[in-house]
Amino acid sequence: MNPLLTVSNLSYSKKDKSWFGKQEHFRLAPVSFELKAGETMAIMGENGSGKSLLAKLLVGVARPSAGEILLNGESLHDKRQRFQAIRMIFQHSKESLNPALTLGSLLEEPLILNTDLDARERKRKIEETLKLVGMLPEHQYFYRHMLSEGQRQRVAVARALILNPQVLVADEPFAALDPSVRSQTVNLLMKLQRDLGLGFIFISHNLGIVRHISDRILVLEAGQLVESGKTDVIFNWPKSDYTRRLIHAYQALITRDE
Amino acid sequence: MPLLDIKNLTLEIDTPLGLVKALDKINLSIDSREVRALVGESGSGKSLVVKSIVGALSDRWQVTADRMNWKGQDLLSMSDSQRRAITRSEISVVLQNPATALDPSATLREQIEESIADSQLDKGWFWQRRQQRREMAAQQLHKVGIRDHDLCLASYPHQVAEDIAQKFALAMALVSNPKLLIADNPTMGMEPTTKVQVLRLLAKLNKTRELSILFVSHDLLAISAMADTMTVLYCGQTVESGKMSQLKRRPLHPYTKALLDSAPSFRRDLPPKAALSCLDGTIPTLQHLPIGCRLGPRCPRAQKECVKMPDVRRIHDHHYACHFPLHRDKT
Repeated sequence: MNPLLTVSNLSYSKKDKSWFGKQEHFRLAPVSFELKAGETMAIMGENGSGKSLLAKLLVGVARPSAGEILLNGESLHDKRQRFQAIRMIFQHSKESLNPALTLGSLLEEPLILNTDLDARERKRKIEETLKLVGMLPEHQYFYRHMLSEGQRQRVAVARALILNPQVLVADEPFAALDPSVRSQTVNLLMKLQRDLGLGFIFISHNLGIVRHISDRILVLEAGQLVESGKTDVIFNWPKSDYTRRLIHAYQALITRDE
Repeated sequence: MPLLDIKNLTLEIDTPLGLVKALDKINLSIDSREVRALVGESGSGKSLVVKSIVGALSDRWQVTADRMNWKGQDLLSMSDSQRRAITRSEISVVLQNPATALDPSATLREQIEESIADSQLDKGWFWQRRQQRREMAAQQLHKVGIRDHDLCLASYPHQVAEDIAQKFALAMALVSNPKLLIADNPTMGMEPTTKVQVLRLLAKLNKTRELSILFVSHDLLAISAMADTMTVLYCGQTVESGKMSQLKRRPLHPYTKALLDSAPSFRRDLPPKAALSCLDGTIPTLQHLPIGCRLGPRCPRAQKECVKMPDVRRIHDHHYACHFPLHRDKT
């Protein structure tokens, strides 16, 4: 099976021009990986290790200084195609929704910007997508403050899904959620992934969830790719010290010596 | 005698729709040297419990309780200054989200030195006292595991990392040598390595200083690693409380079970990518509280009787409030 997303030697460096020449501030070393359709990949790492930056590079918010991203073996030059194929879910669903717009117009925006659908088709698409994430078509007339936390999360997912993407990228989608809403969101994402064959890349500190839903893991430390591989391999036989530390910390939390 | 003993704490908020019970008959007791966890989702009133213990609530809200004793003294009937003296010297609170709870316009040195009371210093000339303050501040930081105290004290809150800010907030809370430490969500959004460090620190303080801890959080992983006893709140009601090990092995209330099941880490037998079990819906808002047992509309075991608030029942020291607990079959 061909990989859905191929990232080869993707790197990013931030330079500052000062009087004393260029200074390199932060560097994301070359990162390469492949993602198959229907696969889930988790990115782990400390704060400031470049996890969010990698997510931004993938969706195109930041521009990589080298390397390339291939989707289905084709390079992503066409911006419109890229924005449709790779979509992002943000961490705080509440803040990422515009309070002044109804959900209908919120979801319509990406359609207007990225597709040629007319008003009626757009409306139908919005209703379909809302149903897909387990909400009612009537919710398009609601504002964000009328929704509960779980519903907001669903809308955030709906907004990512409305352009029929092939890859979803999520930056800490579960961190700010309560346990029950978190399980609901996890279930929803897993179901959508099964049904639609999405590739799903997410960043998380919650190793319990990482272990449960991801197929592969990528570990970053200070911009360097430390380790990558299958989930059970990394959890059972971590190679690098850094990963070992993370896993041990997690194991120490679960098994408590009485 | 328990250190803090709360029975039937009720907090009523005056809204345009009439009085709303934000907290409904909360029971909570903390023995000395105990680590008690207070678990609940956001909106369950955890922070309100914390605030009513330290008395940081608006005057317009009505707090009533059958019993709210601190070492046998009634907290609600004492005067404001007496109560302040107790919260100043014996109870400390680490607030949620330390990086924002600290004053952004002052350096950390100013903040921690301000929290050292004059009565803790020996008498002396002002320069001697100032010197003493500095030493105490540095000592406190060492105790919570910040080695480079000069750098830390010279920075502003936005300049330090989140885990350092958390440790600093802890240091500031421990300055007054409290008997009870209330930690409101101390591990939120931390990565596992830092989380383990902070938890170890709390456990160490609990052992060495005989500090009781009220650990308020919804991070079940951290709680199960740390707490001796646990009280579960749902929507302003205590649903279950008892020993951590007991609750984890055999929860009696459907909500506790749902909460424990929602963490995939506890379930080794769960095949990867299987659907996690969870209750439908979300926690109701204060404007739309259901009557009786507030879990009712979401509860898989709910029946007609659930519109009445269940009495608290007891099996040894395991309390629960449910008409149809899990150890009994549906009738």
